[in-house]
Amino acid sequence: MSNIFDDLTILEFGGGAAGPVATRYFADHGATVIRVESKQRPDFLRLLKFVPGLAGGLDAAEHFGVLNANKRSVAINMANPRGIEVAKRLALWADCIAENFAPGAMKKWGLDYATLVKERPDLVMISTCLNGQTGPERFYPGFGGQGSALSGFNHLTGWPDREPVGPYGTITDSLSPRYAAFLLASALWRRTRTGEGQYIDLSQVEGGIVCLSESLLGFAANGEVLERMGNRSRHAAPHGLFRCRDHADGRERWLALAIHDDTDWATLVDFLGRPAWAVAPALATVDGRQAQVDQLETELSAYTRTQDHRDLALRLQSAGLDAAAVNDLGDLHADGQLLHRGHFGLVDHAVLGRHPAERHAIRFSETDPVLHKAAPLLGEDTEYVLRERLQMSASEYQSLLDDGVLQ
Amino acid sequence: MLGNLSGVRVLDLTHEPGFFAGKLLGDMGADVVKVEPPGGDPARRRGPFWGGVDDGNRSIVWLALNTSKRAITLDWTQPAGRDALLALAAQADVVLETERPGVLAAAGLGWAALHARNPRLIVVSITPWGQTGPHAQWRGSDLTVIAASGNLHCTGDPDRAPVRCSLPVSYYHGSLEACVGVAFALVSRERTGRGQHLDVALHDAMVMPNIATASMSKMTGNRGQRAGAFFRQSKSVQREIWPCKDGFVSFALRGGPARVPGLVKMVQYMDENGMASEALKTKDWKAYNHNLLTQAEVDALSAEFGAFFKTKTMTEIFDRACKENLMIAPAITAREIAASKQLAAREFFIDVPYPDGTSLRQPGAFALTTAKDGVTTPIRVQRAAPRLGEHTDEVLRERGFSSDQITTLRAAGVLG
Repeated sequence: MSNIFDDLTILEFGGGAAGPVATRYFADHGATVIRVESKQRPDFLRLLKFVPGLAGGLDAAEHFGVLNANKRSVAINMANPRGIEVAKRLALWADCIAENFAPGAMKKWGLDYATLVKERPDLVMISTCLNGQTGPERFYPGFGGQGSALSGFNHLTGWPDREPVGPYGTITDSLSPRYAAFLLASALWRRTRTGEGQYIDLSQVEGGIVCLSESLLGFAANGEVLERMGNRSRHAAPHGLFRCRDHADGRERWLALAIHDDTDWATLVDFLGRPAWAVAPALATVDGRQAQVDQLETELSAYTRTQDHRDLALRLQSAGLDAAAVNDLGDLHADGQLLHRGHFGLVDHAVLGRHPAERHAIRFSETDPVLHKAAPLLGEDTEYVLRERLQMSASEYQSLLDDGVLQ
Repeated sequence: MLGNLSGVRVLDLTHEPGFFAGKLLGDMGADVVKVEPPGGDPARRRGPFWGGVDDGNRSIVWLALNTSKRAITLDWTQPAGRDALLALAAQADVVLETERPGVLAAAGLGWAALHARNPRLIVVSITPWGQTGPHAQWRGSDLTVIAASGNLHCTGDPDRAPVRCSLPVSYYHGSLEACVGVAFALVSRERTGRGQHLDVALHDAMVMPNIATASMSKMTGNRGQRAGAFFRQSKSVQREIWPCKDGFVSFALRGGPARVPGLVKMVQYMDENGMASEALKTKDWKAYNHNLLTQAEVDALSAEFGAFFKTKTMTEIFDRACKENLMIAPAITAREIAASKQLAAREFFIDVPYPDGTSLRQPGAFALTTAKDGVTTPIRVQRAAPRLGEHTDEVLRERGFSSDQITTLRAAGVLG
């Protein structure tokens, strides 16, 4: 089946989530995404759970496997000058380049935009590091945990009387790839129309801060510093999580419920059978409910504690209310809506076996995302890419192998 | 120079979950027209307000997420309003919408009708659960979609309920996903000549932020657990967010080639302050592997690092981190972000002018773009968020409506 990026080749340097998840969007729509990797400096996701003697070694990393499905891997030792030369030929041959090393790494190899663009005037290239390529703190090193802290998400997530926790999954690692895919695709679209290339410098921290514009504007306009507020809302009450009957094996189960306005509240009161605590006229307005929110949450919890969370969510939705069962990660694989949308697909990996991988959240009327292969083993596609795509001679390829360049 | 999306015409029918998408497209140079019901979007009347003034044009959420847009009022639930919207859609490249599935179709403005009128049009629907499927007609909002995504289950302290961010993270994720879709559909349209309907679900969009662990639960059996300020390794639980003298810092005891040099320098920093034990100073960091640490070893390390952090402020720690490449960061607020030297050097914040002559400092470009000659294709806030109906006449005239047509529509109450 023909897809949007069937003719596109992306060369990828770097690792983790922030860079590689971005190129997955393109790979899922037909692009050939080639990761340049090495055994000397493996992607840190390949090392996340690594211990000496691990069966499958660097290819046994589940994180890497899930995030890099549909891609290819070329092994190049960048500590060898011949390796750098091969990487440069790939860079000039590919349609675009994505990298998320610390600033300066690409330049050290002569693979930075300023150098490459002299030989490839219409080059499209994106760099995605924590703080951007310029400024006094550009070399500050960090992963998503630091990005989440510096962009303000940590401070805003958690309970007001406790330390901040940050959204699970270090959020700049999931926001950045979306920015990067958007920016890269828009630059490619522009190139098809104008013939001009572009260099994109995406700072993961800045992307996160733009998302939190509401917090920044509240400070600029009114001097207000937004704080953690648990699950409560400034505009709605009750708005939170309510513990339900535990799972038979003892696991906690929770319901999320958002009562957005006074009409919702009236519906909820009827749903509950108009108990004495709920019919008080003072609770009919959002201000009244906010004033008694502690007590309200206690009363509601006493009810939900005896209920099955999934059944209760279904009944509340049937009554027209905004409610959902809290899914744990295992529950997602049985979620009717995710199944309907084909969120998870299966791929066959030489070390990990048959395993799920995810598709993105956009369904296209003509060109849906397709999962067609598992993540590559380190260097799995070196011969194919160099010999068949780059059309390197057999003798040169052999000599690179003999010199230990391709590992 | 023009932005990457300059020349792209967008009709933005969204409510709050989609505000951010239109803003990003506008910041990239697209011509974004916000279409609101005559009374205005409800978010205009939701506090807090700039200076505490609730006049429909000063709500913080509105001002923050509707930059780079013009605004018209148009009641598309009336037949004359629907026809006017179809006429606008005939000249547009993109429609963004967040109605419950079926609502636009019932008004004669569904994908089929829009596609028939303008085959090149790209329609992006952002909803909590998606256009079809068993939950398509469910209500949903930030709290409930994150609850259903697995992300909430894993966020927060183990002894309390799962907990969310004070701002609606799923709306940002979903809007970014919509923007990816728009750019992909524009590329696709170059090949096929046709637009597509994109069905974005906030629920799905919040599964990816679990960073592979949703898929991995099938492989490892790990259904996810809340660890609060901690992180679960295979053999131990390790602190990730630490109290310091005046707040909190994010720091991990994890190793690997990218992290070990920073750990070594952190110990030097502690030693300069007389707070590194002999055991820490003589540790063989080359052999350090966080996956092999026992809980007792983690606790011993944590006691030393934790005691040291408590003697330093967030600013002291971050200054040292920038100087010495230490992988540690303060959990900062809007106040510190507004004062950042790094952001100032990149001219990240801009003063956005407002019609009354005042201005506000707002976050600007989400990336810097340059071409080979050093010329930029700027991403920037093109204009302040629009006042209610500010551009109704301007946009309608520009799109070919005569003065008589506009007068007639206004008399019928279609324009408010």
